[in-house]
Amino acid sequence: MAELSADRTSGSGTKETDRSERPAPRKPGNRYVENVRKHWMLYVMILPGILFYIIFKYIPLAGSVIAFQNFQIFNGIFGSPWVGLDNFKFIFTYDDFYNVLRNTALIALYQLVFGFPAPIILALLFNEVRLMLAKRTLQSLFYLPHFLSWVVVGGVVFELLSNQGFVNAIREWFGYGPILYMQESRFFRTIVVISAIWKEVGWGTIIYLAAISSIDPSQYEAAVVDGANKWKQVIYITLPALFPTILILFLLNIGNFLELGFDQMFNLLTPMTYSVGDIIETYVYRAGVLQGQYSVTTAIGVFQSVIGFTLLWIFNRLARKSEQGLW
Amino acid sequence: MKPTIGEKTFQAFNYLFLIVAAATMLMPLLHLLAMSFSSPIAADSKEVFLWPVEFTTGAWTHVLQNAGLWRSFGITVYITVVGTALSMLFSILTAYPLSRKEFLIRKYVMFAIVLTMIFNAPMIPFFLTVRELGMMNSLWALIIPGLIGTFNLVIIRTFFMGLPKELDDSARIDGCNDFRILFQIYLPLSKAVMATVSLFYAVGYWNTFQRAVLFIRDQDLYPLQMKLRSYLVSPEELAAVNMFLGDYDFNTTTLKAATIIFATVPIILVYPYLQKYFVKGALLGSLKE
Repeated sequence: MAELSADRTSGSGTKETDRSERPAPRKPGNRYVENVRKHWMLYVMILPGILFYIIFKYIPLAGSVIAFQNFQIFNGIFGSPWVGLDNFKFIFTYDDFYNVLRNTALIALYQLVFGFPAPIILALLFNEVRLMLAKRTLQSLFYLPHFLSWVVVGGVVFELLSNQGFVNAIREWFGYGPILYMQESRFFRTIVVISAIWKEVGWGTIIYLAAISSIDPSQYEAAVVDGANKWKQVIYITLPALFPTILILFLLNIGNFLELGFDQMFNLLTPMTYSVGDIIETYVYRAGVLQGQYSVTTAIGVFQSVIGFTLLWIFNRLARKSEQGLW
Repeated sequence: MKPTIGEKTFQAFNYLFLIVAAATMLMPLLHLLAMSFSSPIAADSKEVFLWPVEFTTGAWTHVLQNAGLWRSFGITVYITVVGTALSMLFSILTAYPLSRKEFLIRKYVMFAIVLTMIFNAPMIPFFLTVRELGMMNSLWALIIPGLIGTFNLVIIRTFFMGLPKELDDSARIDGCNDFRILFQIYLPLSKAVMATVSLFYAVGYWNTFQRAVLFIRDQDLYPLQMKLRSYLVSPEELAAVNMFLGDYDFNTTTLKAATIIFATVPIILVYPYLQKYFVKGALLGSLKE
């Protein structure tokens, strides 16, 4: 963005010499018209992209207004009656919603507490591996699950934890009876958090490893001279250097706090675990897409976005006090 | 300086932990692979670990003869190839103007695009929009609504912005227009980054699931992941025989294992190429202005 203004000022500096044949000073509003005329090809190129973002991002975003309507598919957005906050009032009187909200918030919290630090810790451990070949091999293995679909990962999880699965084989080996992990609600959230960490922890290290590699080595050398051991180097040099990256990723994360990922939950959930694992996205899918309660489920979606944005706003304010925020 | 005892111990434990953890990344897949080549009795009696027990190709023979699975495989190959090509074309066309300083509305467009990363439209309005466009039960619903990935777009744009300005100055003197600069000068210079982003898109299309759940109801149009899901939920359909009437060299456990591996093999095959490029690509995308 800084480049743009720099470009503009340098452009106005050369304007007199370049376009001296044009005596009348241009009105500022015409700048855009002239830019289109001169670089029309750029506008032609970007047109499909802009249409894509309007149709598939901004129109659905604007379509969120059906949360304030009693949306009827045959009357459309313009023919459906407005009902104010009725849909929001409805969801807050609805027991199912509280259950779904509690599940979503709890799993989101666990994901944040356990899932967010995991790649930071793994990156620090990777950083201590001195053998380049070992480091690269280990990293390749850790990155692999990121590329598998949640259908595959879900299938793997179900197989490993099934009655005759691998985990129960180990239990039997130690003389314990089998446990049907996927059918019992008490294990569900743990399985969700662990499988998410398993899939994404390696991939998550990439950005931290890059931040670590940009730390000036002379800092560590100085610390060694001062007698700092490895642990102190991590605490006083590596972590502070990582802090801005951690903060930005945390803020991006908190903005989507209640969005846990449809694919994972849909593929791990069974009717037996709805009580602990039914989250906003799976509920909205069933009640909205399958049963056609469009307005109520959109209200839930809007509520979800408002929570996300409020959290982002709060934490961004906090972040600005110490370091820098997203804006 | 010699490492202290504490450091040596830490190093040892660190290696041990990382090796064990890395093994868990691969072992579940190897376990399923072993299961898929084991006899049904061995598979159900918890004897199989990482090596097939009572080796048989029964499950694989049965899975590979499943016409429905191949049909879904074909559909996924189709949307992966067509989708990746279209995604690349439109991402490149969008990224180029956004990388040009003379494109006056650049910062506004860029802001509007990045904003969609924070403000996601709720599922239902998105669903209704795509349905209004007549894409229900159309394979286009798996391609068009996700045509441009913002993260991938940013990667390409960042790369274009890093190309030396002198390149297109000289091209312009030779009378090249923007289309020719993009396709004849920029693209040949960005093969590596294009390979990265293509692979990101291809993996995305290969694994596409949520949009298929939303928009594809016709079983004949199921992409592979959805077919896999439906077989995992009801493996009897995959077996298509009555297990109690006869002695088969497969059962639902070995069939499920084989189907999961079947859907994963293409990813595993491209993974070596994938990982040659992706780290660089993933980093480029994060270096936003």
